[in-house]
Amino acid sequence: MSLLEISNLTKSFGGILAVNEVSFSVNNGEIIAVIGPNGAGKTTLFNLMTGIYQPTGGQVLFNGNNIIGMSAHRIAGLGIARTFQNLQIFNNMTVLENVMVGRHTKSKTGLLGAIFPISRVQREEREIVEKAMKKLTLVGLANKAMVGADNLPYGRQKMLEISRAIALEPELLLLDEPAAGLNSTETRKLVKIIYKLRDQGVTIILVEHDMETVMEIADRLVVLNFGNKLAEGTPVEIQNNQEVIAAYLGEEDLVC
Amino acid sequence: MEDLKRRKRLRHSLIALFTVIIFILPFIITNNYYRSVLVIIGIYTTVVVGLCLLMGYAGQISLGHAGFYGLGAYVSGVLTSTYDVSPWIAILLGAVGTGLVAYIIGIPIFRLQGHYLALATLGLGLIIHVVMMEEVDITGGPSGLTKSIPYLSIGRFELNTDFKYYFLVWIVALAAIILANNVVHSRIGRALRSVHGSEFAAQSLGVDTGKYKLQVFTLSAIYASVAGSLYAHYITFISPSPFGLMTSIQFLVMAVVGGLASIWGPIFGVTAITLLTEGLKYIVPKMIPQAGGEYEIVVYGVILVIIMIFLPEGITSGIVNIYEGWRHRKELADVTSGDK
Ligand SMILES: Nc1ncnc2c1ncn2[C@@H]1O[C@H](COP(=O)(O)OP(=O)(O)O)[C@@H](O)[C@H]1O
Ligand SMILES: [Mg+2]
Repeated sequence: MSLLEISNLTKSFGGILAVNEVSFSVNNGEIIAVIGPNGAGKTTLFNLMTGIYQPTGGQVLFNGNNIIGMSAHRIAGLGIARTFQNLQIFNNMTVLENVMVGRHTKSKTGLLGAIFPISRVQREEREIVEKAMKKLTLVGLANKAMVGADNLPYGRQKMLEISRAIALEPELLLLDEPAAGLNSTETRKLVKIIYKLRDQGVTIILVEHDMETVMEIADRLVVLNFGNKLAEGTPVEIQNNQEVIAAYLGEEDLVC
Repeated sequence: MEDLKRRKRLRHSLIALFTVIIFILPFIITNNYYRSVLVIIGIYTTVVVGLCLLMGYAGQISLGHAGFYGLGAYVSGVLTSTYDVSPWIAILLGAVGTGLVAYIIGIPIFRLQGHYLALATLGLGLIIHVVMMEEVDITGGPSGLTKSIPYLSIGRFELNTDFKYYFLVWIVALAAIILANNVVHSRIGRALRSVHGSEFAAQSLGVDTGKYKLQVFTLSAIYASVAGSLYAHYITFISPSPFGLMTSIQFLVMAVVGGLASIWGPIFGVTAITLLTEGLKYIVPKMIPQAGGEYEIVVYGVILVIIMIFLPEGITSGIVNIYEGWRHRKELADVTSGDK
C-alpha cells in the first residue's frame, strides 16, 4: 500500500480550476517533486493535502485513511508536516520557540498541567527543548536558538521552517519551493538535509523550480499545468516527455 | 539553554521581590482608607490578569467580565447568607459554575472564526445584570441582598479587618499571576502565541486553536468569579450596581493601560486606573460641583485614546521599549567610542 494516494482531487475557486482531477500516489521513503509553471496549482495541492482548503471533489488517502474533511490540526497529528512558499514564521517568537511549537503534536500537557507544572510537565518541557535543539542542529541553526525569528535572514528562515516542520517527526513532509531565494551554497545544504531526512525514513514531496536540483534528488516527478496533471515519471522520462517539453517550450530550465 | 535558564531565574526573582514588597506594604501603610484601596487593587488585579490572558493570548475581548465577577459575588453572597453554605465551598461552587457558563457560551463562539466574543460577552453580561435586578426573591433586586454576608475565616481566625483581608486578597492575586505566568510559558501558551504569529502555520503544526482559546476564556472567567467572591466577603453586602457594563469597561481599560505583554501589566493598569478613579472622586466634585458619575466614562474614553496613540502596547511595554531603546543607543555609543 502506498503512503499517500491522491485520486481525482479537484479544487475550483469560483471559475478557476486550480487543481483538476489530479491523481497520483507516493510510496514510503520516496522523494517526489511536483513541478509546473506558476499558477499550475502546486501550492493549492499542498493546501488540499494539509486541510487548509477543502477540495471540490476527490480523495486523499494517507496510510489508507481518507483525510479529506479533516481539520488542518488533525492532519498534522496524523504525521503530515509542511513548509510554506510564503514564509509563515512565528515572528513573535524566538527561533527555538518556533521549533518547540513543532513538538506540539508530540507532547500532551493540557491546561491543568500548564497551570500547575508538576514534574511530569517539567520533564516534558525539557524534552521539547532537547528535541527542538536537535532539529535546529540538523539545519545548522542551533547557535541562533535564542534569537528572535524575525531577525534571521531569509535563507535561514527557510531552514527554520524546515526544522519546525520536522520537529513534528512527520511521515510525510511537504516542502513548497524550499530552494527559492537560496544561494548555491544554501541550496547544497538543503539537498544534504533532504537526503538526511530521507535516510531517516521521511517521505518527501517538494515543489521546486530549480530543475537542476529537482532532477538530481527526485525519484519521480509529477508535472502540473493549469491544474491538470500533464505527466508523471522518473527524471529521465520527464526530460524526454514531448508534452512536458512543449509546455515548457522556451524555458531553458528543463534542458539541464 | 543557559540563556533560557537565566531568563527564568530573572522572572522568578522579580516575582519573589514583588511578593516581599506586597507583604511589607500594609505594615508601612497604616491608614485604613489606603489599605482598603490596596485590597480593591488586589481583587481587581485577579480579574485583570485573567482578562489579559484572554486578550493577549486568545486575541479576544470580553465585555462581560463584570458579569463573571458578579456571578462569583452572588453565588458566594447568596449561598453563605441565605443558605449557610461554608464560604470556602461557596467560592469553589461559584468558580465551577462560572467556568461552566463561560465554557458553554464559548463553545459556539470559538468554533466560529471571528470576533464575536466581544458581542456575546456583552450580551451575557447584560443578562446576568438583569437577573440580579429582577430575581428579587433570590438576589434582593436592585437594593441588594437583605442578609449580610459573613466574613471569611480560617478556622477560628476571622478576616474581619482590611489589614487581615489584604493578605488573603494578595495571596490570591499573586497566585493568579504566577499561575497565569505558568500558562504563558507552557505548551499551551506557546501554541496560543504561535496563532498570533501565523494561524496557518500553527494549525499545520497541529495546534487546535479554538480549543485553547476556549480554555483560556474559561480560565479567565474563573479568575473573575473568585475575585467576585472575595469582593462579596470583603464588603459583606452586594447589590447589582458594581457588576454592570461600566465595570466590564473599567476592567478592559485596566488591561489595555497595563498592556498585555507582561505579567506585570495588570498590576500597573489596575493601580493606575484605581488611583485615578479615587483621585477623581476627590477632585472632580471640588472643581465641578454639579458633575455626576458620568465623568468616569469620559475619562476612561480619553485614557483609552491616549494609550492607543502613544503606548499601543500598554504602559509596561511602553516603559520596557523606552528602556531598551535607551540601552540600544548606549550600546551603539559604546561600540562607536570603542572604534577610536
Ligand atoms: N485562495 C485562493 N483564492 C482564489 N484563487 C486561488 C486561491 N489560491 C490559489 N488560487 C488560484 O489557483 C491557481 C493555482 O495557484 P497555486 O496553487 O498557488 O499555483 P502554484 O503554486 O502552482 O504557483 C492560480 O490561478 C491562483 O490564482
Ligand atoms: Mg506555489
